[in-house]
Amino acid sequence: MEAEIKNENVSNSVLEADGIYFSYDNGYDVFENINIRADSGKFVAIIGPSGIGKSTLLRILGGFLKPDKGIVKLLGKTLYEPTPEVALIHQSIVTFPWMDAQENVMLSMKAKDMSRDEMESKAKEALSRVGLDGFEDLYPKEMSGGMRQRVAIARAFAADPYVFLMDEPFAHLDELTAEGLRQDIYNILFSGETPLKSVIMVSHNLTEVLELADEIYILNNIPATVVGRVEVTMPRPRNPRSDNFNANLDALYSYLTPPRKKK
Amino acid sequence: MVMAAITLITLAVLATVARVIGLIILSIIAGWFLAYASIKSKFFENIYIILIEIFESVPVITFFPIVLVIFITRIGGPLGVELAADFLVLTAVVWNIWMGEYQAFKTVPREMVEVVENSRFGLFSKLRYLYIPFSVPRITANLFPSISDGFFYITVSEVFEVGVHTYQTFGIGSVLDTFVADGQLFNIEMALLIMGIAIVAIIVILREFSKYAVGRYTLDTDAPVMKRGRLNLRETARVFAVLSKNPLTRLARYYKYREGDNHEETYEKKERKQKRYRYVYAAAGIIILVAILYGAVSLITSVKLSEWGILIGKTPSLLTGLGYDYLRVATILVISMAIAIFLGYYLAVNRRAEKYWIPIIQSLSAYPAPIYFPFLFILTEPFIFGIFGVFTNELYVLSLGFISTFYYVFYSFWMGVKAMPAEYWEITRNLKLGYFRKMRKVVIPSTFPYLISGISSTINSAWGGLMIGEYWPDIYGTHSLTVHSGLMKTIDVATATGDIALAAWGSLIFGIIVAVYSVLFTRRMMDLAQKKYVAEEGVYSA
Repeated sequence: MEAEIKNENVSNSVLEADGIYFSYDNGYDVFENINIRADSGKFVAIIGPSGIGKSTLLRILGGFLKPDKGIVKLLGKTLYEPTPEVALIHQSIVTFPWMDAQENVMLSMKAKDMSRDEMESKAKEALSRVGLDGFEDLYPKEMSGGMRQRVAIARAFAADPYVFLMDEPFAHLDELTAEGLRQDIYNILFSGETPLKSVIMVSHNLTEVLELADEIYILNNIPATVVGRVEVTMPRPRNPRSDNFNANLDALYSYLTPPRKKK
Repeated sequence: MVMAAITLITLAVLATVARVIGLIILSIIAGWFLAYASIKSKFFENIYIILIEIFESVPVITFFPIVLVIFITRIGGPLGVELAADFLVLTAVVWNIWMGEYQAFKTVPREMVEVVENSRFGLFSKLRYLYIPFSVPRITANLFPSISDGFFYITVSEVFEVGVHTYQTFGIGSVLDTFVADGQLFNIEMALLIMGIAIVAIIVILREFSKYAVGRYTLDTDAPVMKRGRLNLRETARVFAVLSKNPLTRLARYYKYREGDNHEETYEKKERKQKRYRYVYAAAGIIILVAILYGAVSLITSVKLSEWGILIGKTPSLLTGLGYDYLRVATILVISMAIAIFLGYYLAVNRRAEKYWIPIIQSLSAYPAPIYFPFLFILTEPFIFGIFGVFTNELYVLSLGFISTFYYVFYSFWMGVKAMPAEYWEITRNLKLGYFRKMRKVVIPSTFPYLISGISSTINSAWGGLMIGEYWPDIYGTHSLTVHSGLMKTIDVATATGDIALAAWGSLIFGIIVAVYSVLFTRRMMDLAQKKYVAEEGVYSA
């Protein structure tokens, strides 16, 4: 009997943006009533034409920018500022050249009450998770682009986030490296070995989006609104060379019309 | 006896080196906090940057009357003299270091800032892990001119005369002055040698550090570098919005965060906190303004009312003197540029020559010209007088100005040529451009921002050379070096005869005109350079 009782207020949402409006200081309206929700265990992608404000939206979701109106909620509580629980991974590969790989990863734990030994051990674990076992002492200048992006991802992992915000994380990598990293990332993300509950990714690469995402939000118009939401139900692993994949890809392309200014 | 002299000289050199290096370190540390305050508060930034720009373009002599009034008259004694010397050296080294740190802090890529914001770093962690390491290459680049400037002024900083009083503090400048006065030739030669060894050692260490700094601290990421100056800040201003917390607050936050009841703060609470910090930075800006006003009021009240009429009456002749000085500066600049463009280009494209000549030029520029110039004068004066007659002194003053300032435009241009994109060189080869066409169409336009920066530094430093050269009593024996007319000479003579009011008035007129010139000419040229001649964002990270 008790098992049938269902609390309607219980939400599966990890990160949620409700009614987001945002303008730049020069008065340019970027967003109008954006609603996005990332549920537990879901990989969410945001797509849209260039310049629509995808990266800006990601920064609002991370608490880096304050919306003019609307709220962002993390696990049901309003997010007012950046927090290690929501880790942002950038399009441009951000590693600190004056720190080796391990120190780069340890950076995300410096503000926490952890001993150096704990930090080192956790950094090694994070590096190992992204396939950089044995490369702890290398400096970014001694690494390839793919390795450096792995370091940035390991740094984000080490902060034990609930949500990853990924801003075109594979854009600066060659296709082979990106493909390998995409597979690794997806496997790691929901392996259950980390507190990570959800991922929101912005990307121009629709193949990448279709390969990874469970849900896709499509932004368009000026100011931008969510013009569509697509659930990707294709079974995993997804093969980008299959007919079904390509049919879905074609459908997705049709959403990406040039932005139109609202009257 | 000889050993005692060598020991004395060595100690004096060490004292001078410690004074210059110590003040540079002090400038660097203070500059980090000031730069951080200026990226956090627009109000503070506006005060800070305008003041740096003005003071950077006004040579050390402008501070001389302030030094005399505040340190010598008010504080007095050996401490007052030491502080006066320190202050004069500080004014020679500090501005470009502070400007470099400010520019570095302003150009930290937004993505890197977001990483430390994401980790909720406090002020000291942000400085330690991000801002300070990021500023190291630019500080290193500024160390060469700062050290050169610091040493250049030691002769006027460590020993100076006001009326019948001579004030001096221990260092190679004051020791050398004693040797020259007593005609101790051997000791003078030893002093020059030991000073030379110290300077070469410093340059070698700096060059090694520079290589290390470039290798370790320069960016190799894809994170875009923003432009210099107060530009393109809309985005970063938002990102910078979250202010740092003190350690106790951070600790308290941490436990709050662990308990799972974070995110309780509202935007309003956050904004109130930010406002509090903004007030702190604004207060710091106001304190700086008050300190400057205090200096100005101290100067004004030190002049009797009856003297003001005399000062106003002398203003036309002061302005005429300034006109002569601008002609001298222009001559020095034209000669410096002509040599810099040909030599700088030659060394930038000839690696073998560059390998030997750049360290030599760097060492020569750091070796204070006022120390060895009297000996050049002794050796060449009879010969030069035979050729130039009454223009001999003018020629020496221009020469002193040239050797004290040539380096800046040369070094800037050389760096500019080195930073030219490889594609430009390929195009010049592809089009088979001749030497002069290549210079006119490609090399000079693409190095224009560097040239303007070098020209600006050269002009500023030329005033220092004129200040020392236009009135140099007893440069050796009974010989004096002095020009017929010049504002620098008037200020020098007024200071030496104890007429502080005239010295201060001349300095004030000079300061105002230099500042106006800086706003009307240098800044416009820099803006033009940024708008029209910057090839790519990467130039700014050079």
